[in-house]
Amino acid sequence: MIRVIRRYDFSAAHVLARPDWSPERNRNVYGKCANPAGHGHNYRIEIAIEGELDPKTGRMLPEGQLDEAVRRRVLRELDGRFLNRDVPAFAATVPTAENIARHIWDTVAPDVSPARLVGVRLIETRNNSVEYAGDEELA
Amino acid sequence: MDFSASYRDAGGATSGHNYELEVTVSGRIDPETGMVIDLKDLKELMEREVEARFDHRSLSDDTPYFRDRPPTPETFAALIFSLLDAALPKGSLHRIRLSPTAQLSVEVTR
Repeated sequence: MIRVIRRYDFSAAHVLARPDWSPERNRNVYGKCANPAGHGHNYRIEIAIEGELDPKTGRMLPEGQLDEAVRRRVLRELDGRFLNRDVPAFAATVPTAENIARHIWDTVAPDVSPARLVGVRLIETRNNSVEYAGDEELA
Repeated sequence: MDFSASYRDAGGATSGHNYELEVTVSGRIDPETGMVIDLKDLKELMEREVEARFDHRSLSDDTPYFRDRPPTPETFAALIFSLLDAALPKGSLHRIRLSPTAQLSVEVTR
């Protein structure tokens, strides 16, 4: 079994707060992350795919396919943005690391054929990271 | 372990990397030694099977393994897994992770 893992970096700002909750409740649940002014992270994404190697090329995916998909569909959407305000996916969904990882999964999954996506790891800080391996119940 | 090697790609261009190799073995803890494997033995085995074959070599020109397949991170990782698997006690190799760059890793398991 062969798994290829690619890493990408982006920076973004976010606020952890639900618009339908009171400021007090958001502060209670999300702590200082609920500051409406926002704060930012240098995020790292690790994309893991599994599949067969093309016997001719020795590669799991054609050169550049994954990079192109991630740059065009993920980095362009998220890098340098205020996620809550600038990214439609987070207009009504709190951009927690969990939700960002799931969003990246949903965005990239259709573009890795004939390989399959097996993991998205989103590293938010040195101490916090989230791994998402797909979940039909949640998706 | 870290080692350096070069290769010729499909277009004939020569490139190279500082490869980082992580090897994971699994098994029962030996009740006498308290170890799954003697790390000194594992290190020597990695030096013999991997470093001696590939370090400061051209994968394409100095080794026989890539005459019939392209020297990609995927094929190189699969080759290293099979070389280590054959040299280690049966079934003890759990996973290898080969990282040609900080942005790319290839993991091979059974």
